[in-house]
Amino acid sequence: MDSILECRNLTKYFPGCLALNSVNLAIPKGQIVGLLGPNGSGKSTLIKLINGLLTPSGGEIDINGMKPGVETKKIISYLPERTYLNNWMTVQNMIDFFGDFYADFNKAKAYDMLQRLHINPNDRLKTMSKGTKEKVQLILVMSREAELYVLDEPIGGVDPAARDYILDTIISNYSENASLILSTHLITDVEKILDGVIFINAGNIVLTSSVDEIREKENKSVDALFREVFKC
Amino acid sequence: MLGKLIKYEWKATQRIFLPLYGLIVLFTLINKAFFVFNFDKTSGMALVPFVITMIIYCVLIAATGIVTLVVSIQRFYKNLLGDEGYLSFTLPVKPHSHIDSKMIVTLIWTLLSIAVAALSIFILAVNSDTVRDFSEFCAAVGRFFSQYGFQAYGLLIELIVLMLVSVLSGTLEIYAAVTVGNLSGKHKLLAGFGAYIGFGVVEQIVFSALFNAGKGFDFTGGYGQLSFDKLPFAAFAAGFGVLILYSLVFGAAFYFFTNWMLSKKLNLE
Repeated sequence: MDSILECRNLTKYFPGCLALNSVNLAIPKGQIVGLLGPNGSGKSTLIKLINGLLTPSGGEIDINGMKPGVETKKIISYLPERTYLNNWMTVQNMIDFFGDFYADFNKAKAYDMLQRLHINPNDRLKTMSKGTKEKVQLILVMSREAELYVLDEPIGGVDPAARDYILDTIISNYSENASLILSTHLITDVEKILDGVIFINAGNIVLTSSVDEIREKENKSVDALFREVFKC
Repeated sequence: MLGKLIKYEWKATQRIFLPLYGLIVLFTLINKAFFVFNFDKTSGMALVPFVITMIIYCVLIAATGIVTLVVSIQRFYKNLLGDEGYLSFTLPVKPHSHIDSKMIVTLIWTLLSIAVAALSIFILAVNSDTVRDFSEFCAAVGRFFSQYGFQAYGLLIELIVLMLVSVLSGTLEIYAAVTVGNLSGKHKLLAGFGAYIGFGVVEQIVFSALFNAGKGFDFTGGYGQLSFDKLPFAAFAAGFGVLILYSLVFGAAFYFFTNWMLSKKLNLE
């Protein structure tokens, strides 16, 4: 029960494609883990399985000892790659929506972050740029006091200047006991906040390691190791 | 949680229906004013404004039906199977709650649309003649119920239940078709239409079988001929009962099928 996430022989087939090949994985509580791999490696499939957006073809997946379902959705805060905000709502409407459905949502935190990013809560999402929408979405997700945060490409769409702020936001808003899984291909940007990494390729886990281990044993940065492992 | 889902489903749909109902009220009143001031009895160019507002009114009434259908499909598709599905399906609720909330709200709007259209047409048509006819009609209905008592009420209740069940079953049939279409990979629209037609064919076959089975049944209840004084209530009640059961069975099948697809076969893009 010390793992927030445990996969045992987790397999996912799509018609004509094996997306995850018998993955075994355990992520301990209280860590920030980077899920790193090239496009089409199975990152998003794994993330969708964690969130119950896909059903496994085989094997098992446990979140805090529970199968994906209503109870796990209460404790996972998920940032998908897509923008899921309703265009006709205002930011305030979305905050009320999150407050209504998630018991762990902290409205004060959300308003505070909006203010610091100069986003007006009364603005309609329709009028916002893609980057601003992504910021709003991240604020909503990070304003939950969840046990597990799953962030799929959280900094992909925002400018480099905002990246640091967003990473700071992530770090300062997640509590000691919470865990965080983060998928990205912008490794250099996130490397400094990671405790551990998982390299995934073609549905297989290639490597799981702590960042310190990589630095000590390989004497390399995560980015350099990634380039070596996934050399084309 | 179902209450909260219904609340947001209502919020999302009211912004389309309420303005539409508002327009209907507005054009009902404008046309009513034209009737009251006898604009419809004029000729030549003086008739033009009346014709225009009357056409707009008719389009609005027709649009209400179409909008109810389109909004129902679009909400299901966008909110569950589009990008918004990433949020909808990670809310801490069971997948069937989404179906429940959406079909309940669709039912409410369908009933409201019917009520608004009926009321508006009544307002337009009302004058001393129609009031007299209408009160005569009401009196006849009253006599009918006092003459036949609980049998007549039973039939009325069956009719209402049949209407509600048919609307829900029809909505669920569309949900099932949209779900099949969306989860079938390529050619979503085509697959959706195909599924809908396929469901229709199955329903037709079952309906024909029921109809054939009922052929030998004497719906006049042994009277040989229908007359107002001797209505075969038992036969009517049985006929409606079969129709209700038919809608219920198909509605339940579509419901469980859609729920199974959304729970086990979901694959958002």
